[in-house]
Amino acid sequence: MVFNSLTFIAFFACVLVMHSLPFGWTTKKINLIGASYLFYSAWNPPFVILLWVSTVVDWYAAQGLVKARRQAARHAWMLLSVVANLGMLGYFKYGQFLLDNFTSVMSALGVAYHPAHYDIVLPVGISFYTFATMSYTLDVYLRRALPAQNLLDYALFVTFFPHLVAGPIMRPTELVPQFETPRRANAQQLRYGLALMTIGLFNKVVLADSFLAHVAESVYDGDKVPGTLDAWAATLAFSGQIFCDFAGYSTTAIGAALCLGFAMPDNFRFPYAAVGFSDFWRRWHITLSSWLRDYLYIPLGGNRHGARRTYAALMATMLLGGLWHGASWTFVAWGGLHGLYLAAERGLRARFANYRPGPLVFVALGILTYALVNVTWVFFRAKTFAKAWVVLRGMFGQSGTVKPILDTFSLLSVLLIVGGMVVTHWLMRGRTLESVIARAPAALVSIVWALLAFAIVIAQGAGSAFIYFQF
Amino acid sequence: MPSSTSSSEGALALPRAAAGRNAPDRYARATAADRPGIAQPVPARPVPEQPWGRILLGAALIFVALLAGWEAYWRAYGVTPGINSNSGLWALQRHRIDMGEGNATVIAGSSRPFFDIQLPVWERLAGYRPIQLAFEGTSPLKFVEDLAADPHFTGRLIIGVDPQVFFQGFGLHVDALAYTRKESPSQRIGQWLSMHLIEPYFAFDDPDFALQTVLARQPWPPRPGRLWPTQVRKLSDHEADRNTHLWSKVADDPQYRELARNIWRQRFQPAADPPPAELRRTVEEQIDRTARAVAKLRARGVQVLFLRSPSDGEYLRYETRLFPRATTWEVLLAASGAPGLHFQDYPELQGYYLPEWSHMTRAEAERYTVALYAVIQRDFWGAHTGATSAPR
Repeated sequence: MVFNSLTFIAFFACVLVMHSLPFGWTTKKINLIGASYLFYSAWNPPFVILLWVSTVVDWYAAQGLVKARRQAARHAWMLLSVVANLGMLGYFKYGQFLLDNFTSVMSALGVAYHPAHYDIVLPVGISFYTFATMSYTLDVYLRRALPAQNLLDYALFVTFFPHLVAGPIMRPTELVPQFETPRRANAQQLRYGLALMTIGLFNKVVLADSFLAHVAESVYDGDKVPGTLDAWAATLAFSGQIFCDFAGYSTTAIGAALCLGFAMPDNFRFPYAAVGFSDFWRRWHITLSSWLRDYLYIPLGGNRHGARRTYAALMATMLLGGLWHGASWTFVAWGGLHGLYLAAERGLRARFANYRPGPLVFVALGILTYALVNVTWVFFRAKTFAKAWVVLRGMFGQSGTVKPILDTFSLLSVLLIVGGMVVTHWLMRGRTLESVIARAPAALVSIVWALLAFAIVIAQGAGSAFIYFQF
Repeated sequence: MPSSTSSSEGALALPRAAAGRNAPDRYARATAADRPGIAQPVPARPVPEQPWGRILLGAALIFVALLAGWEAYWRAYGVTPGINSNSGLWALQRHRIDMGEGNATVIAGSSRPFFDIQLPVWERLAGYRPIQLAFEGTSPLKFVEDLAADPHFTGRLIIGVDPQVFFQGFGLHVDALAYTRKESPSQRIGQWLSMHLIEPYFAFDDPDFALQTVLARQPWPPRPGRLWPTQVRKLSDHEADRNTHLWSKVADDPQYRELARNIWRQRFQPAADPPPAELRRTVEEQIDRTARAVAKLRARGVQVLFLRSPSDGEYLRYETRLFPRATTWEVLLAASGAPGLHFQDYPELQGYYLPEWSHMTRAEAERYTVALYAVIQRDFWGAHTGATSAPR
């Protein structure tokens, strides 16, 4: 079920009540596991089996890793986990993509190959929970962490519903220790957790779905050629939509976990105030970028084997990171562009190691970063390269004379929401949300909270899925 | 990517002057981005120091006051709580066919059979209540094709033909079909909760009064270079089984009625017509696909009846101009071989009051349903006529 649904409200209320009843800690954990399976099966019940497979395989792989005496056996247990998880991911997420590409290659070679079309349904959140479970065996394999003490704690780590389908991508060392001792939110945590959920849902339901999504759709999903203003407005709208959608999900998830007494990590840190692309990736989808860094970039050599190897590792990481987002070459292009940006930045930083920008240049570099990030969003949002080129041509004034697509209200929405969002990110660049709330008058916090909740209700969201569910 | 050996690499430093303006943030915390290559510890999740109990109480009171004001505003505007017409509601009716009611009488079409055929009246006359699958702004073609492919359906089918929507293949709510096929348990539960706990009690809960919709229709200055048509406003009220009727405000409020008419008028301008060749191609495709679907249905013994519901005034003149009966309706009947009932052929189906020229008031719809049912029974579905009776 999605957070922005009546079903979730009813479900979450039941979970809160169950978690506050005077059961033993083991019973409460069993309740949470049951609730999490219910949460997941509310999309498509049979796919719960995949969760079980992922859970059981990694549990036994980690046990095997600990007991193994020979390095070869350790490798084998680690490979079992990686192959099982990536195999599931590969079949469900990339099966059709690989088949389509194979067919295209055959066709290019003059071989008429026509495979039967098989309609694979992508299990929601599979990319997230396979990465979470893989990090468990990989941490044990890399001797960074010990395996969980019992299957119950481990299974709850995999399935814990706030992070299950769209992150933040949790590491076992972040969550399993929290299951070892009884936890229940105190009154302050419960109330602040509800406030965080309100902020997250406001981002999703009001800003992303109600005001920004249709602007991006009008240009990216329509058949009209956009001019400069429309192409930029739609792309900026998408930059706002995807942030509000995904950061909204993460904030709601963090709030839901806090209401139950659990802590989840930050996933976003005002990314549109990033100056440079390494800064951007320290602020955007932090739990994915750090996962890719720890389990892909560093094992590929990181920056320890010379410049050439570093750039190769960087590009490989970002290309695969792009592919993680979706089974399409446009996502690979998106990752590739980010890889190129990071490589170029790395080169410039080496060339101008002692350069320290003044305030104006600093802000200008931030604006340049945001503009270049928007160019990458074109490939992320467009369903085909042809559409991406059409929008890019529009953004760079190459569309010729075309009719406007977006009306005044859409343009104003983008200006106010996305403009406001970027300014807010800059104002919050070195701060935390908590510090701002702590300094605000209590009455103001009440008023803002009520207004956000009111806007969520009157926006009448249609319970649309979060963008990252498809990844 | 930050370095594998140092977490300090990765971001340009904030200029000293700018950095110095901020006091140290005691809630500041490291993230996984700051800890490369290690097992990540249990995260910190501090709660800002505030009187959260009072804040929550204050927020709840303000929220309730705002919501009460919003609800009062829309009630004063003439809105009453009702069920929302959406894909979830449509799916509930569509599921009935697969859940043991495959021999039912089904109504497909666009807004006219949706608004004008009153299910309680039909039930009173026939002893059964049809399944209402018509959807405003949506050609029934895909729904009919879906029924044709569903062996569960063996009943009777009324296909509403509202010329503009049908022959141009409009698909405002055609997603309802995909929604029905992919509907998750969560969506079903959500639909039930909404229909029982929210919609019957809150007038503001209607897509026409959603925040974005309300703001978007304010008189913003037009952007030069193109005209954006005014979107269709709320026209109908719905019940749980999709029995629908025209919203009383359309009939009772002259200003609102004129607004509804002006919205239709946007379509009536010859400048808004599709290019003739494109229109001809679309009409042919709609007829051809409909005929194929109807052939499948009739081969299975389904009784199919096309229905051209009444329209009036400028709307009727527009339809007569762009979709002449001889080149659309008659061709459809000939291609499909199924009988059709055109309101202009029956005096008892004419002369109703259609405030905005397209849909009847509730009272008129009830009267019309009585007359329509009688005609259908007499000329098409009655025991003595059989399914293949021709219209007179």
